[in-house]
Amino acid sequence: MALNTCSEGISFARELEQAAAGMYERLAQLLPAEAETFRAYASGNKKNIANIEQAYYGVITDAIEGCYAFNIEPADYAIDVTVGAELDRAAALAKAIAVEETMLRFYQVAAEQAKGLMADVPRAFTLVARKRGERIEELKSLAAR
Amino acid sequence: MALLEEPIKEVKVLKNYIGGEWVESKGEIVDVVNPATMKTIAKVPISTKEEFDAAVEAAKAAFPDWRRTTPLARSRILFRFKQLLEENFEKASRIQTQEHGKTIDESRGETRRGIENVEVACGIPTLMQGYISEDIAHGIDEWCMPTPLGVFGIIGPFNFPWMIPLWSAPYAVATGNTIIIKPSSEVPNSQSFLAELAEEAGFPPGVWNVVHGGRTVVNAMLEHPDIKGVTFVGSTPVGRDVIYRKCGETGKRVIAQCGAKNFMTIMPDCAVDNTIASMMTSFFGNTGQRCLAAANAVIVGEDDDFYNEFVKKVVEAASKIKIGYGLDESVQMGPLRDPAKKQNVVKYIEIGLEEGANLLLDGRKFTIQGDYPDDCFIGPTIFENVRPDSRLGSEEIFGPVMSIMRVKDLDEAIRITNANAFGNGHSIFTQSGAAARYYQYNVESGNVGINIGITAPVAFFPFGGMKDSFFGILHTQGKEAIRFFTESKVVIQRWF
Repeated sequence: MALNTCSEGISFARELEQAAAGMYERLAQLLPAEAETFRAYASGNKKNIANIEQAYYGVITDAIEGCYAFNIEPADYAIDVTVGAELDRAAALAKAIAVEETMLRFYQVAAEQAKGLMADVPRAFTLVARKRGERIEELKSLAAR
Repeated sequence: MALLEEPIKEVKVLKNYIGGEWVESKGEIVDVVNPATMKTIAKVPISTKEEFDAAVEAAKAAFPDWRRTTPLARSRILFRFKQLLEENFEKASRIQTQEHGKTIDESRGETRRGIENVEVACGIPTLMQGYISEDIAHGIDEWCMPTPLGVFGIIGPFNFPWMIPLWSAPYAVATGNTIIIKPSSEVPNSQSFLAELAEEAGFPPGVWNVVHGGRTVVNAMLEHPDIKGVTFVGSTPVGRDVIYRKCGETGKRVIAQCGAKNFMTIMPDCAVDNTIASMMTSFFGNTGQRCLAAANAVIVGEDDDFYNEFVKKVVEAASKIKIGYGLDESVQMGPLRDPAKKQNVVKYIEIGLEEGANLLLDGRKFTIQGDYPDDCFIGPTIFENVRPDSRLGSEEIFGPVMSIMRVKDLDEAIRITNANAFGNGHSIFTQSGAAARYYQYNVESGNVGINIGITAPVAFFPFGGMKDSFFGILHTQGKEAIRFFTESKVVIQRWF
């Protein structure tokens, strides 16, 4: 079922960030050479949640359209965060890039849909999307080494 | 979607908070029912006159010391209060949903609006400064200083159980007054919880009091000679004929914010998708139980294609609204507060049909998301061809009913809007600055929205209201609240 309310959108973003953070923590254990990067990503995801929640809880009032902010199909943004012991470095980085690209797409679409309606929330989503874009570049660079 | 956890887990009898003590009432006890589940979640006393009088005595006794407490010290308690409200933001929001029925997004919005008033009141050291003129005559100086008056009464409505008392309470206590809040007996838990946080924040005993109840408490408040003023939010008949009139007779200052019939004017150049999202929020948000909810959609212009396409989209959007228990985050519209309010909305749907309006979407037919009794639920209703002077088009319904009217130009839209008895929160949707300016200049409304469907002023602006929507002079919130809760004392000084 499509996500429509701002509350649902925030909860979905939180789920994505938490799931991806968990994936990075597992990847850090699996690939000690990249552990520092992955742990920083996991930590960054927690900051993303905090920033998004701060924007939402700070701006949500009855003057804005909290119950009609989005029309997002969550299945379009499903992420695979399983980390098996057999995963090698290349496959791990490819998985991380796929997760980040999906999440980037979610934030871009969500920000566009809520633009003009949800004040600071789309701005917070755009900032997280920008960070995701930078992260994708970094992961691609790691994969190319 | 899974339900968020309910914060109220066991049925307790609420107590009054008087003089810093939680006191059992001897009055009749009535159930507080969650309108989504129809389960009793609390019991509330209908307090007696004697209990209210005891609260006045406690508030009166606390006043001298509280008045002498410096504005900076009062401000520090308000800062602690604000911090506690933030820490308990989610619990407060879920209590509102559990006792009122509104969606969790709406409750969080209400919590935030309430906190914003505390934040503004934290600035009391500068907000309360007076002014001085040196040498108004040779050797004579004169100054004006705002001083508190004593004990104020605050009467809360059922539709915003948390926020509306906070339009008044923080300013009243920040300026050195003491208060007695009478919450709506339908939704008393929010104010009980707020009082717990006020106590924890360190307001001295007697400064912040809560007395639950009904008409007996209201009458006692209006009659009591030691109550200096009353703020009220509720219906126009009660606000005008009881609160405003009685306060006049007994010499109390009064803010009576009352009913509404808000017109939303839609110009053919509006941003259609965003306008429709705003319409869904304004007409159907809080299940229409807002004094700022739009009720009449006035579509301007003779372009049939625009009209037909726009109305089709509005009906489509409204028919997709998810109805259910507000603690389900996917729900977009909760129940009405109680079965009687539902019957009132049904009655108006029948009146609309009798008056010949065209029913495009019948709220009597709806699907609830989840397994809940339908006692208080109703769907969005849309009528077209509604006459502005009909009962459907002119009376406050306080439910999710949209009446569509069509006019040839903006002047006609303003004319029918201004012909209505109320003037609370009219709005226009347009991309034309000239049309928006012309509208806001000519429309008779205390709050005016330009591409804003719920014209709720932020805490540092007064909550306006005109005509039958407001009785009084000063308004709640911001600087006007500071004026309301203080007397201007003028001192003229000469030294020999």
